[in-house]
Amino acid sequence: MIVFENVTKKFPLGNIALDDVSFSIEEGEFVFLVGPSGAGKTTIIKLILREILPTTGSIFVDEMDITDKNFSKLLALRRNIGVIFQDFKIVDDKNVFENVALSLQVLEKYSYLEIKEEVKKALKIVGLEDKEKVFPIQLSAGELQRVAIARSIVGKRKIILADEPTGNLDPKTAWEIMKIFKKIEKEKTIIFATHNADIVNSFQKRVLILKEGRLVKDLRKGKYEF
Amino acid sequence: MRDFLISIKRAPFQSAASFLVLFFSLFLTFFLLFSLAFFEGILGYLETRPQIIAYFQPKTNENEIFKIRDELASSGKVLSIKYISQKEAFEIYKKMNKDNPLLLEMVSQEIFPPSLEIYAKKPMFLPEIAEYLKRQTIIDEVQFQKDILERLLTLTSILRKVSFSFFGYLFLMTTTVLVAIAHFKIALKKEEIELLSLLGASSFYIRKPFLKEAFFLALFASVFSFSVALLILFYFQPFLNSYLQGITSLTFNLFNLSFNVWPINWVFLLLIFFLTSSFGIALSFLATFLATSKYL
Repeated sequence: MIVFENVTKKFPLGNIALDDVSFSIEEGEFVFLVGPSGAGKTTIIKLILREILPTTGSIFVDEMDITDKNFSKLLALRRNIGVIFQDFKIVDDKNVFENVALSLQVLEKYSYLEIKEEVKKALKIVGLEDKEKVFPIQLSAGELQRVAIARSIVGKRKIILADEPTGNLDPKTAWEIMKIFKKIEKEKTIIFATHNADIVNSFQKRVLILKEGRLVKDLRKGKYEF
Repeated sequence: MRDFLISIKRAPFQSAASFLVLFFSLFLTFFLLFSLAFFEGILGYLETRPQIIAYFQPKTNENEIFKIRDELASSGKVLSIKYISQKEAFEIYKKMNKDNPLLLEMVSQEIFPPSLEIYAKKPMFLPEIAEYLKRQTIIDEVQFQKDILERLLTLTSILRKVSFSFFGYLFLMTTTVLVAIAHFKIALKKEEIELLSLLGASSFYIRKPFLKEAFFLALFASVFSFSVALLILFYFQPFLNSYLQGITSLTFNLFNLSFNVWPINWVFLLLIFFLTSSFGIALSFLATFLATSKYL
């Protein structure tokens, strides 16, 4: 489903974010991307979203070569991916319902009633069904991250990219967030970037370990130690 | 509409600045268009005054005069020709001097020359017609107000050029200011735009709320500027009435359509409103499009 073939990403000032990285992720897999800051985790997520292009190498998502310069299915690609950020990226002037609904509204194919139904389902999964009218300013960090997760899982997005979603949360809240990932892991392909070893080890999922832009280990049922 | 009101509430100063710039530009555009049409109307009116008068020798045979008249009429350069016979000239003289019997007693019909009053299709044909008439031996005098007409033509041409230059400057200035203001406003939503883009929103979907707001701002600005311009126009109407005394109507022609500019005519005013609104909406759309392009 997602294939990286000898991907290298150099930034204009010469620093190498990824160095000849190759891996493939099957549909429905839960993969942790781990490594210290600057290892290249966020670069991989940005490459999958086609926010940036690799310097060399190819990336395939659903058999589409997204590194092709004439790639014309950017909307289709992004409409298949839900993204969760460390800093949540919640729109301040929209309430919880509206923030989650955004993910469906941009697809321009759902009626209001369908959106309402799907958003309610997603909010139930993340445990925010009673807060749909609440504005972001009234929510805790953990609740904001739940809104972001609801936004990424709503509808039929098959891939979830989570860029250090527990990075700004206290350990207790981080575990609550991970429980939500447990609930949704069967339905989606999840790529979870983190450097939290406890979380990685408790899940016993595949782990891709990055160091200074290179893929140093690919553990099928991984344990990760810093 | 709800989104538009919310957007104004969230960035009142940027919205007010956009509105005021649009209002000012559309207000000037209204008067620019009105003045252009008005001067075109005046030019058209002046062109309907006799432009060349040819005075024949008093005893000229009418058939010879008609021959010249017919030749001119068939040239394709003449709009109309009016023949004034000696009798008619005398009647005009009598009417003009009805309060002065002494002057009337001193003259008789025979001393008045018959004449042709000629109206050219275009002022540029006038010198040629005048030259033709001067070559006729039976014509004593050709009155041709060449200087006045040339000055009027020059004035109208300058007015057109100045108007177009000013209009161009207005367009550039308004677009630049609106783009700058829209940039401020859109920068406040930079993160939301980036998020929408990552969620797979199309460029049009992202631009739509900004374009909607631009449309409503331009529409309100054009309605407001039109209302203020109308108030000013009606305030000065009595002054224009006395200044243009004797001129029953001024007409402006556009693409084979004729609009009455004076007396104030609602069809013409609505045409200007339509033009200024379209201009305002196009400007506002263009500025928003350019400003959003930075983030898409």
